Amino acid sequence: MAGTTDPDTGSTAAGEPITEAEALQRLRQSEDQSQQYYAAWWMGRNRSRHPEALPLLLAALRLRRPRDPGAGVENNGVARNAARALGKLGDPSAIPELLACLDDDDDGLREAAARALGELGAAAAVPLLTQRLASGPQVAGAPRSDSPRLQEPCEALLEALGEIGVAEPEVLAVITPFSDHERPLIRSAACRALLQLTGESRWAEPLLQLLEHPQLQVRRAALMDLGAVGWRPALEPICRTLAENSLKLIALRGLVEQGEQHDASIKAEVVLSAMDSLL
Amino acid sequence: MSVEMSTISDHIRAVQQADSSQAMLVATSALASCEHGESVNTEAISCLVEVLGFNNPGAAVAAVNGLIQLGPVAVQPILDSLDPRNYGARAWAVRALAGIGDVRGLDLLEEALASDVGPSVRRAAACGLGSLRLETLEPRQRAELRQRALEALLAGCHDGEWVVRYAVSVGLETLALRLDPPPGQRLQLLEALARLAQPELEETPVVRLRASLAGQRLQTAAQAATAHGDAPAAAGR
Repeated sequence: MAGTTDPDTGSTAAGEPITEAEALQRLRQSEDQSQQYYAAWWMGRNRSRHPEALPLLLAALRLRRPRDPGAGVENNGVARNAARALGKLGDPSAIPELLACLDDDDDGLREAAARALGELGAAAAVPLLTQRLASGPQVAGAPRSDSPRLQEPCEALLEALGEIGVAEPEVLAVITPFSDHERPLIRSAACRALLQLTGESRWAEPLLQLLEHPQLQVRRAALMDLGAVGWRPALEPICRTLAENSLKLIALRGLVEQGEQHDASIKAEVVLSAMDSLL
Repeated sequence: MSVEMSTISDHIRAVQQADSSQAMLVATSALASCEHGESVNTEAISCLVEVLGFNNPGAAVAAVNGLIQLGPVAVQPILDSLDPRNYGARAWAVRALAGIGDVRGLDLLEEALASDVGPSVRRAAACGLGSLRLETLEPRQRAELRQRALEALLAGCHDGEWVVRYAVSVGLETLALRLDPPPGQRLQLLEALARLAQPELEETPVVRLRASLAGQRLQTAAQAATAHGDAPAAAGR
């Protein structure tokens, strides 16, 4: 489906960057779904402000269909990318339709919608997100028999709750058990959310330990999570961990931009000078 | 001396015989931190340059650091090794040249900042363009190369990636502090930093913060120089 384009490099198979008008045109047509898939991604990547962007992406979101094991995945690919783009556009009027996607059968679409709602800071999503996780690590967080995925897209649901920032006791009670999940990436997401919601350093400790995890993938996740929180006391451990400078720079950007509320004793200038030495 | 030479050869052999990425990292780090004394071992340079092409990021970081330590003597071997088909190796070579700051790397740094597909390469190039070592050159050549570096950085202000614009801010600061640009260039440079510090023109907070820090540091440095009566042409005298 995405074979002709590579969303990560932002170029088409021919390597030609496209214009906004071209992207809107590709999103509007419906014969070629791979074109729609790419155009939906383009809208989010470039944070389009065109007045047609929102209605066209909402229309693409409605293209989703009930899961049909033989076919029908393609439309959901377009819908998933539309959901991701709607998160990046930052327009709260997309919230109601994204909320509806949290009950979709397609867990990939639930995942994309949860992340988008997190980016939009949609407090209205909190009851649905907690409901999806309420059965805990043993049920919502149980591995599927048919794939390496979990029953629910726990990582995305947890991260969205942290981003949205409603620190009610019921919300914390639902998230906390996931900080003991058997998978380190889920523990990382849970601790990130708890640290964002409470600011209590006991939730930073596990993240700092994960920075020393033997698997690079886990260290990367912990880096991103500490950066998303902006936990300035993590400055030294972030600089020390074995991972790409590119990711450390993203994490340290978070410490500069989000970090004032956590530990003002570590000045932004100190973090900036650490960033300079990673360039 | 002969003891040192044999140690270096041992380290080179260890790199050549490394049979895992971890062993390669350890051997490269050891080779990179060798003391070379008066005469640098050219095989050691070739070996470090070769590691840049092995697709082993840990070892490549160690090799880049080793090459930067070696300095100008490593520049020609790096330039000779450039392989347009090995993108990863090219990226590491840019980083090494940026770190060494030798003017022979200028062409490559300009090209990398303007058109490399990898943001990590463009950001390394931006840093390197600010820290070229021009002090031993003739004044005219010095002015010409400084102008080229400045123009490349000014163009880099419009890069699509925040991390590259961040690195451009750092590059502009370093250039102003080290290369003593004349008043006209200094003004262009300060204006570029001011634009990168403006919320209407720059969307990324950390870039704005870094650019305004650079602007402040340059003002402070200029005031200090004036106070000491040793301001360069910038004082208008």
